Amino acid sequence: MNKVMGPIVVVGVVATLVGLGCRRGGTAPSGEVVVYVSEDQVFSEPILNDFERETGVRVRAVYDTEEAKSTGAMNRLIAEKNNPQADVYWANEPIRAELLKQRGVSAPYVSPNAAGIPRAFKDPAGYWTGFSARARVLVVNRKLADKPDSILAYVDPRLKGRAVITNPLFGTTTSQVAALFAIWGDARGRDFMNRMKDNGVRVSTNNGESADFVASGACAFSLVDSDDVVNRVRQGRPIEMVYPDQKPGQVGCMIVPNAVMLIRGAPHPDNARQLIDYLLSRETERKLAFAACAQIPLHHGVSVPTEVLPVEKIKTMEVDYAAVARTMQDIQPFLKQWVGY
Amino acid sequence: MGRRIVLWIVVAVLAAVGLAPILIMLAKSVIVDGWLSLEFYSRLASSPRQWTLLGNSLILAALTTLLTAVVGLPLGVLLGKTDLPFRRGFATLFSIPLVLPAYVTAVSWFDLLGRDGLLARIAGAAAARETSNWLFGLPGCVLVLFSTFLPIVMLLTMVYLTTVSPRLEEAARLVGGWPRTLRGVTIPLILPGVLLAVLLVFLLTLGEFGVPSFLRYDVFPVESFIQFSAFYNFGAATAAAIPLALITLGVLVVERIFLREKTYQLRPAPQGVGRPSIELGPAGRWGFFAAVAVLCLVIVVAPLLVLVIQSTSPSVYLDALARAGDSLLRSVAFAALGATLLTVLGVLTGYLIHTRALSCWRVVDSLTIFLFALPSTVIGIGLVSLWNRPATNFIYATPLIIVLGYVAQYTGLTSRIMVSTLGQIPPSMEEAAQMAGGRWFRRFSLIIAPLAGRGVAAAWLVAYIFCLRDVGITMMVYPPGMETFPVRIFTLMANGRPSLIAAMCVILVAATVIPLTLLRFVFRPARPV
Repeated sequence: MNKVMGPIVVVGVVATLVGLGCRRGGTAPSGEVVVYVSEDQVFSEPILNDFERETGVRVRAVYDTEEAKSTGAMNRLIAEKNNPQADVYWANEPIRAELLKQRGVSAPYVSPNAAGIPRAFKDPAGYWTGFSARARVLVVNRKLADKPDSILAYVDPRLKGRAVITNPLFGTTTSQVAALFAIWGDARGRDFMNRMKDNGVRVSTNNGESADFVASGACAFSLVDSDDVVNRVRQGRPIEMVYPDQKPGQVGCMIVPNAVMLIRGAPHPDNARQLIDYLLSRETERKLAFAACAQIPLHHGVSVPTEVLPVEKIKTMEVDYAAVARTMQDIQPFLKQWVGY
Repeated sequence: MGRRIVLWIVVAVLAAVGLAPILIMLAKSVIVDGWLSLEFYSRLASSPRQWTLLGNSLILAALTTLLTAVVGLPLGVLLGKTDLPFRRGFATLFSIPLVLPAYVTAVSWFDLLGRDGLLARIAGAAAARETSNWLFGLPGCVLVLFSTFLPIVMLLTMVYLTTVSPRLEEAARLVGGWPRTLRGVTIPLILPGVLLAVLLVFLLTLGEFGVPSFLRYDVFPVESFIQFSAFYNFGAATAAAIPLALITLGVLVVERIFLREKTYQLRPAPQGVGRPSIELGPAGRWGFFAAVAVLCLVIVVAPLLVLVIQSTSPSVYLDALARAGDSLLRSVAFAALGATLLTVLGVLTGYLIHTRALSCWRVVDSLTIFLFALPSTVIGIGLVSLWNRPATNFIYATPLIIVLGYVAQYTGLTSRIMVSTLGQIPPSMEEAAQMAGGRWFRRFSLIIAPLAGRGVAAAWLVAYIFCLRDVGITMMVYPPGMETFPVRIFTLMANGRPSLIAAMCVILVAATVIPLTLLRFVFRPARPV
């Protein structure tokens, strides 16, 4: 056509050919499984690669991003509900799994490997099953003389202006706040949050940032996920991990397991069940315990590194995840207001 | 007749790819619990907080746009029309931040100016505390978005400078020097192009969420993000995105009123005729060189240096390529294909808008800009709702859906570049060919397209860069296992090694060397005459 349009058309044709060469999509053949993953890719991808290597089933994954608050996969699953593309969803906490159950996105499947998982960490009807958990712990700056051992430190006037909490509208912090509302009731939950605000708490965008604030000394403590602390302790940052509320009469430490679920109408249901069985195995839990995320196995007797406390040695918060999911939807308008949006 | 058929096909494509998904989302926004309702909109309008957020967004967009215009226009003139030393290298360097997702640039600035950043190690904790306080808030947001979007104004200024007829400038120089010629002739003639660049910067900043969120400056798009991410309420999220799109349409109206009485009938330089170059003189050359170098050092090299320092080991690059080499290939292929389709559509849509060949030209113009201003999540969910059906799995489950996403979101870019370009071709040329009996396709391919060559190349390059850096649309629709390179960077950012992420960012920058080299080839500096 001319000096400019010609090369552009040629580039378009070449790109189409390369793009078609990249095409592995369409209706996947029987040797595939499609998994949407909200667990961090750096931790989940090696597990999926091992599955692929050991079973010969090719894994095609969609991973979430921190920037989207790990909700991209959730939104896709909901939007794709009427013509599902995914077979399995690997959620990084069970509340989202509950929400998807309530929206009719998931299907029941009781894996034989779920037998060793305590009842508290799985859906009774098999819509999701928990494995390899994080604990919601206090990260405390090593220089702090009187270290807090309860989440009530957030409302302690002696620590006014020294705490940071991750935005409670997103992620595991939402789950924890919703769990407290579910246990304490609405009035006490609101009072706690309002007193926390009056006590000058800072709000960060994610748990990693909260841990960094504490490590840098900008804040004295924060409530974060255990992997955020282990990671930074291994980097030599001046922080300590405290399992909160371990004394008699206290509420206990919240455990947040990963959750895996079968998608209703999954295109490859057999491979999906095989992957779910694999994720729920003791070996996967062992790998995730020794990985940088240092997650806590839910099967009894799985070996763990020294910095990981076995779940049976932690006084855990008694959480009904289905109730927490319902509470979370109820309190979100309050939380939105609390954050100031 | 042929012209109308082709243009109607273009309109149909835009309706199917861009309008239909948005209509689905708009329908979701006015249906609450199965009933027609404006509840999402009334809730939004009655919240005082939303008005504050909207004000914050407008302030951020206004400041960023003002700064990029004030710096970008003279910078474009210096790099595109003078004998400034190292101008080609500067043009390449200043373009780099546009390639990186703005969120990554914000993280780089944090690694540089944050409390534990590079500056803390060099200048001490007290200085780093000050810079950190400054970075978190409006000033930091303006800095990051200014450095990211400056290349848009700079590059488009350079492009449009090449379309100014040398004869007009020569005539002006007979009665005055270069400053007067620039003020009286050159700048007014390229004003539509500069206004386009400014409009794009304004819209991009207005819709930006990642950077303000990271740097703690609350902006209006946060509401749409929360509705998607915390409530999974697609209807409310769409309703929350509409005010920004309406502002966009308002800006378009103002732009049209401003340009209504202006005509642009310029004659590009004939083949072989050199474009006049401004000679700065020895003092001017090195004075301007120093000023441009300092600016480049501060807004481009410094944050880039952080990435390079974090990824000094060759093994990190090998690891990055091993983990994401396939994503890189896919990114380049998808971006090239997307840019080509966007250019073809942009040329035809631009022609439709410029010539007003169909009565719906105004609707088409508004639609493409409206789509450009909408949050990518809204378009992404709309595309899923429309195309995720068994009958259209051949599109939805393949990379075609990514390319459709690019077309839906970025056609406004290429069509606007072409509108400004076509505005500089005298209509008499096509009219003469028509009088001579030339059919429309021959007139279009043999007269209009060649005369618009530089604009077409600019449209392709801009589209390529935007497709290559895209995360928002791609993240919502990419087929499983087929993520692009920027998506890979984002998914690995959570707890990934900083050195690996930095290496991947450097690789992404390197992947733009090809189009930037093309850019230098197309926009060769002016030869003195």
